[in-house]
Amino acid sequence: MLIDTVLFYIFAALVLGGGILTITRRNAVHSAMWLIVSLLGVAGLYLQQQAEFLFAVQIVLYVGGIMVLFLFVIMLVNLDQAARERQFNRHWFVALVAVAAVGAEIGYFIYRGRTGFHIAELGAPIAAPHALGNTEMLADTLFSEYLLPFEIASLLLLVAVVGAVVMAKKRIQ
Amino acid sequence: MPGNFATASDVIRFLPEIILAVMGTLLMILDPLLHRRSSNAFGHLSILALAGALGGAIYAYLNGGPAFGGMLMVDGFATFFGVLVIVAGILTILPSYRFLARQGAETSEYHALLLFSVAGQCLMVAANDLIMVFIGLEISSISSYILAGYLREDKRANEASLKYFLLGSFATAFFLYGVALIYGSTGTINLAGVNVVLSGPGAPSLVFVGVAAALMFVGLGFKVSAAPFQVWTPDVYQGAPTPISAFLSAGPKAAAFAVFLRIFTTAFAPIGHGWEPLVWASALLSMTIGNFAALQQSNIKRMLAYSSIAHAGYVLVALTARSEVGTAAAMFYLAAYAFMNIGAFAVVSHLSGKGERYQNIEDFSGLAQKQPLAAAMFSIFLLSLIGVPLTGGFFGKFYIFKAALESHLVWLTVLGLLNSAVAAYYYLRILVMMYMREPAEATEAVEPLSPGLRLALIVPAIGTLFLGIFPNWVLDFAGKSSVLLK
Amino acid sequence: MLDLLWLIPAAPFASAAVLLLVGRRMPRKVVATLGVVSIAVSAIVSGLVAIAFIGSPPPGNAYDQHLWTWIAVGGFHPGIALYLDPLSLIMTLVVTFVSFLIHLYSTEFMAGDEGYARFFAYMNLFVASMVMLVLGDNLLLLYLGWEGVGLCSYLLIGFWYRDPANGRAGQKAFIVTRVGDTSMAIGLFLLFHMLGTLNIQELMARARADWPVGSGLAIAAAALLLGGAVGKSAQLPLQTWLPDAMAGPTPTSALIHAATMVTAGVYLIARTHVLYEIAPAVQLAVAIIGAATLLLAGFSALVQTDIKRVLAYSTISQIGYMFLALGLGAWSAAIFHFMTHAFFKALLFLAAGIVIEALHQEHNIFHMGGLRRELPVAFWAFLAGGCALAGLPLVTAGSYSKDWIIASASPSPALWAAAIAGVLLTSLYTFRLIFLVFFGTARTPVSKQPGVAEQIPVWVLAVLSIVGGSERPAYRPFMAHLFGATPKPPEALSTIAAAAAFFTGLVCAWYFLRGDAPATNPLARFWYAGWGFDWLYGRIFVRPVEWAARVNHNDVIDSMYDGLATLARFVWRGLALTENGKLRWYAAAIAGGTLIFVALVIFL
Repeated sequence: MLIDTVLFYIFAALVLGGGILTITRRNAVHSAMWLIVSLLGVAGLYLQQQAEFLFAVQIVLYVGGIMVLFLFVIMLVNLDQAARERQFNRHWFVALVAVAAVGAEIGYFIYRGRTGFHIAELGAPIAAPHALGNTEMLADTLFSEYLLPFEIASLLLLVAVVGAVVMAKKRIQ
Repeated sequence: MPGNFATASDVIRFLPEIILAVMGTLLMILDPLLHRRSSNAFGHLSILALAGALGGAIYAYLNGGPAFGGMLMVDGFATFFGVLVIVAGILTILPSYRFLARQGAETSEYHALLLFSVAGQCLMVAANDLIMVFIGLEISSISSYILAGYLREDKRANEASLKYFLLGSFATAFFLYGVALIYGSTGTINLAGVNVVLSGPGAPSLVFVGVAAALMFVGLGFKVSAAPFQVWTPDVYQGAPTPISAFLSAGPKAAAFAVFLRIFTTAFAPIGHGWEPLVWASALLSMTIGNFAALQQSNIKRMLAYSSIAHAGYVLVALTARSEVGTAAAMFYLAAYAFMNIGAFAVVSHLSGKGERYQNIEDFSGLAQKQPLAAAMFSIFLLSLIGVPLTGGFFGKFYIFKAALESHLVWLTVLGLLNSAVAAYYYLRILVMMYMREPAEATEAVEPLSPGLRLALIVPAIGTLFLGIFPNWVLDFAGKSSVLLK
Repeated sequence: MLDLLWLIPAAPFASAAVLLLVGRRMPRKVVATLGVVSIAVSAIVSGLVAIAFIGSPPPGNAYDQHLWTWIAVGGFHPGIALYLDPLSLIMTLVVTFVSFLIHLYSTEFMAGDEGYARFFAYMNLFVASMVMLVLGDNLLLLYLGWEGVGLCSYLLIGFWYRDPANGRAGQKAFIVTRVGDTSMAIGLFLLFHMLGTLNIQELMARARADWPVGSGLAIAAAALLLGGAVGKSAQLPLQTWLPDAMAGPTPTSALIHAATMVTAGVYLIARTHVLYEIAPAVQLAVAIIGAATLLLAGFSALVQTDIKRVLAYSTISQIGYMFLALGLGAWSAAIFHFMTHAFFKALLFLAAGIVIEALHQEHNIFHMGGLRRELPVAFWAFLAGGCALAGLPLVTAGSYSKDWIIASASPSPALWAAAIAGVLLTSLYTFRLIFLVFFGTARTPVSKQPGVAEQIPVWVLAVLSIVGGSERPAYRPFMAHLFGATPKPPEALSTIAAAAAFFTGLVCAWYFLRGDAPATNPLARFWYAGWGFDWLYGRIFVRPVEWAARVNHNDVIDSMYDGLATLARFVWRGLALTENGKLRWYAAAIAGGTLIFVALVIFL
């Protein structure tokens, strides 16, 4: 139990620290690197939940995704110039107030709701977890109960692809 | 067990979406074949597809019920909004013929994306499950983002599209966060299921679910352009191609409101007193910001954008009423609004000329002399937007404020009525321009009405008047559907 | 057959809509055909409906056609429904049939006018509104028709709007009748509020059940409705608009005076007669107003020089007879007189139109004369119409209806005397007109003879003016279902007195009223100016308003609204700042909004 808790905090620290560093680095390549760290942290959290499949997907997809991001960064952003520019504008005071407000809200939220936080029981524990692997069970649910969203997501992707093509074409005709 | 998840009745209830998706794909496949023949072919095919979807929606209604294990619910409510968004699609394509020809931009993608967008909206209005809501919302939104920036050579359109995309994604993130909180606290994403958990003994704390509701409100409020999440609206409406601005103000808006109504009056009904202040504040803000900001607008598309914000406010008043009467009133209002606003945008699209040069209110000077029909139709739409009796807009407002009064929202009603009085000013300004000024450059250059545009003006005008003269037929249906919702 | 009832208002309404929208582009032939055929459809359908109704009366002697419910809100669910009973049947028949003849006449009369389509559109709308008024089964529809008629009269009186005087006449008609309309609207609100329904029949039943005779509410409601009726029907004290309403094209005058508009008040009182029966004081007032008006207008008609103004005052006077009948409780007699009056007054106006057209828009009767041979059609028409108007005993329709009214007045000597005096006056001014226009020497050459489209309506109406009263024996029991059987008043004495008055007037007109120039004595000038009502109203109402307007020249009162406008502009400026087009700000606004909303949920 203890090791679980310790691991959780390590992963959580990776996620948050990576996130903060992602947005504060001047060099875009560095930012991308930190993003990977953050995402790996999330993958670690998945693993802790015994969601091996999601863990694998997270790593595979995001490593690919980050690669593409790298390419774009190198191609499109003038790194030298970006490094010289101010990274934050002068509205930091506004931001500070906003952050304070968010902090106050979260604090009060937790205070008010401390008795009410119960995470719902997800029904009975899933039967025969050992016979079927986590991945197989996921597949079962995805292709039976959640067949419709799964299929419809393809339309969503199609729209995105068509959109990308429309936006990227040189001329309309 | 598998195999039970897509029965024949499931497919029938899913018919409009299937028709639209298939036809949209087909359009792009046929593109190389059709393009050389006639550029109008895409428009014709899209109208055909939408007409088919309309038939499909009605057929689905006659065989109504839950589909795909309760993920979709084909009931009167879904059909009402389904028909509404499909008709909005048709009415968008009608003025598009001329518009696209004028900009030299007829492609299959335009029509395909429009069909996909309508399909997404059909999905939204029938969705009974937060995942389906989300997927439908995204299909509709992503198509809209692209369509808004469809005229890529136009800087404003580019800017509009990018803004819409970034802010839209931002707002959607809030929505998703809300969904996650709901799933975390209730263990279900089925709307009826959420209702059961929330009204049961072990309901999670109000604060917890309330925050989830507030976050989902942000996402949906963005889509319907309710204040304070309305900031994108004027820029996007102005920059987008005019028929698309019309579409945005009717289809996606109506669908998002449908989702709004379904989620907040079914799933979140037990915590109604918790979210009521949010909707109350947003309604008041939307009405006030929309109407006052529209007062001095010189660009007609921006003006209509602000007016669209104000009208979202009126519908939110109906939502604040938290009653079946309120739901029915909101449905009626959205139908009336779709007609009058698409019609108004069609006139703007007609007048705007190549490259959308003429967008100022002054450009409407003397339209009545040059094209009495267009001016007369525009007058009907404007009068309906004001809420003059014998138009759909009048009864829309009437039912909404009546519902609000029945729920004892006296202050909101009074402020809403004051707002609609302010609104009369900026609509009447256009009437004055059209009828009391001599023709100016834009009206001198206006081209004759094409058959498509003629239809695009007359059909919404008939719809607007129909709702004003026979409001009961639509209201009856809406009333029955709003009862089914529980 | 009764199912077709809805077509009667629908046909002219549809035609008006088409003409208004696309009439300008249509060839004149099509415009005329559409305008006339739509009314013909109404008239034919009315005829068929009448045959069906009389042939096999529906249960309760009334037919209710519910078309659709307009809106349903709580207890307020006005239906779009038509109600047919003997009263509305007679009204509809006369309105549609006479209107049809007037439309036919107009195809020729207006042939050279540039606003041809506009004219027919307004005329059709006018008829549609009038039919709606008559057939509507609830107060809302009645009021809709009532206002529609008012609007169309405004549009038609000011039809030749290029001349500001015509526009002013239209405005005068609109504003003066508005005074009455306001009173009527208040009356309708009162009825709806107190009795809780809009349906006229239910309303009357409830009024009879709930309100004792002479109760304050009944008197108030009846008096308020009377205000509306007085305005529309141009009775004292709101009669001043009608003579000026002559500014419109002559067929319009015929339509306003004969079939529509001015008789709306008579219809309203007859329709709500129950109310007047339980408010006897108001009913007496109706009779007195009628008697006073018929005399006053008769004197004014005696000295007019404009052919149409003579007829206008004559209309006021004749409607005074109808009001007298209403006030005496002789409901059927009033409606009967409405019918005969519709025939002969339409005839007189159409004939006057022929005269005016033939003499190059000459209106002054002292510039006419000797037209008996030049314009025989107009002469015979005028003779028939004039005899009917003045009530040539036994052979004309007018005598049947007027004698009935006079006989009904016999219980009250004063009213009876006024009615007889009215006959004398009518005879005087009618024959003065005929003698001046058609006898003597010709002063203006005739330039145009009427064509077929003008002659047919005139002949048909001439025949009706003569024989239109002969169905009285059948008419009485028919109306008795509605108004209750009233004993037939002894007519012999009244008929003899009226006949004597008629011939006295005829003879006096021949000997005394054929002068070459209008009378100029002060009394004549006073009568000529309509008893100085215009002057009086100018002093009492118009001047103070003008004074107030002058005082408010700099919009003192508006400054408050200006303040509001400034405030609105200020708010707008503030809002405009938020729309600076910067994505960063927009995102911040959304985030800020979210923050506030979440705070609302947490802290509330």
